[in-house]
Amino acid sequence: MTNQPTTQTVDQTPAEQALAGLIVSSLQLEVAPDAIEPEGRLFGDGLGLDSIDALELALAISRTYGFELRSDDERNGRIFASLRSLSNHIEAHRTR
Amino acid sequence: MNALPLVERPDGAALFLHPNEKVTKGAFLADAHRLAATLPDAAHLLNLCRHRYAFAVTFAAALLRGQVCLLAGDLSAPMLAALARDYPDCVAVVDDPALATPFPTVLARPDGRPGHGPSALIPADRTVAIVFTSGSTGVPSPHHKSWGALVARSRAAAERFGLGEGSVTSIVATVPPGHMYGFEVTVLLPLHAACASWCGQAFFPGDVGAALAATPAPRILVTTPLQLRALHGVAASGLSACISATAPLDPALAAEAEARWGAPMLEIFGATECGSIASRRTVEGEAWLPYPGVTLQREEEAILACGPGATPVPLADELEMLEDGRFRLLGRRADMVKLGGRRASLAGLNRILTGLDGVRDGLFVVPDDIDRRSTARLLAVVVAPERTASSILADLRDRMDPLFLPRRVIHVDALPRNALGKLPRQAVLELLAQVSEG
Repeated sequence: MTNQPTTQTVDQTPAEQALAGLIVSSLQLEVAPDAIEPEGRLFGDGLGLDSIDALELALAISRTYGFELRSDDERNGRIFASLRSLSNHIEAHRTR
Repeated sequence: MNALPLVERPDGAALFLHPNEKVTKGAFLADAHRLAATLPDAAHLLNLCRHRYAFAVTFAAALLRGQVCLLAGDLSAPMLAALARDYPDCVAVVDDPALATPFPTVLARPDGRPGHGPSALIPADRTVAIVFTSGSTGVPSPHHKSWGALVARSRAAAERFGLGEGSVTSIVATVPPGHMYGFEVTVLLPLHAACASWCGQAFFPGDVGAALAATPAPRILVTTPLQLRALHGVAASGLSACISATAPLDPALAAEAEARWGAPMLEIFGATECGSIASRRTVEGEAWLPYPGVTLQREEEAILACGPGATPVPLADELEMLEDGRFRLLGRRADMVKLGGRRASLAGLNRILTGLDGVRDGLFVVPDDIDRRSTARLLAVVVAPERTASSILADLRDRMDPLFLPRRVIHVDALPRNALGKLPRQAVLELLAQVSEG
């Protein structure tokens, strides 16, 4: 009866795979982690995340990767633009 | 006619705080006068500034020009369409040049550099702002705010929270300036109470910690229940209070915050229609104490709230009046859903859903724990055999505030309507339980 999103495995790096799993589990999304397009938009009309999700995701990231996300006018839009950009930012700043 | 000053603070007082400098009364007013001089003639001004300082300067510039400031809350397609229809003479002010609007647009980039702009007297009965909520028809409904009512509420809040000149309290807020709660506490309050509002970043816990460290004590942290849950790791010394609003705070969470920060955890009760009207310290009990000068009266079904200088407005919440002048919240009227500080009418959302091509029947369902669980969102149940969930979602996205978009669209063969055509919540929940098992 439910319409599941079509699951298609897309080309995620191992780091992106792990982050996709964290996004889906921490936000309790109804989408398979491997169906998140690395370059697709996370917010708005992409995965449909909103600002409440951003905060929840920031918490999950600090617990898992050991660093705090900070707002930064110029770069924040870019960091959260896609799974790939967020993953790149995390890989550059993680402490665990 | 009675008139009240735009700013009523000592000369040289700090009104706003930037990461490395404070903006004094004179500098703020100079910025407001500079922006006011560049505004085109228009009766209404849509304030779309995202930064708190630019937002505050834009509001003050509109006051100086005698323009009514529109606070849209969200920028969904139906909101912009309603604004374009009802305020065709509107100009928009943005601080992000990339933000597209259907109106003539002015870019505001006030910098708070030292200056000495004069204050001004604003007639108390003038409508200075219009704030919108989404109505039961799915169309935004406007709420008019007079200058006298806004100033009276700032003064009442200053009295309630002990913001008298002597020491200036720093206000660090995680809520945006264009929402009624953020507008009152972080934009209006510094104009009339001894406080200065932080205008740097304060969204992620890391930002909030840095903002508290960068502002002088005493400090008040202004947030919401969902955000408060995320702030438990923030070290905050020198907090004189933490204030939460938009949804009732869990008493256990409040007690935890008090123990962690050594400061009272206070809550404000308010609504877009009437603004802030009462407060409580969560750990002291569930009763709310109305602000000084606020009266509440039952009139037929609704409670009318009346603040000083304001016209009485019916509340969307059910209250029980207690003998000592306090009140208890009995809950929201069934039609209302609140999320992230924004409010929508379920009847309005359902009307949008059932108005979509190929949707024969449908409704939005609100999880019971939507106030407490940050991942809780609405879901939609539809009878729409020819439509996919993603195409319904795409249609809804163009028609409503995206915050209320359903996170799941569930197809069913029929909705469990009773003989009167109504949908008992219990029957809907049973249907959903069957669907999730099946």
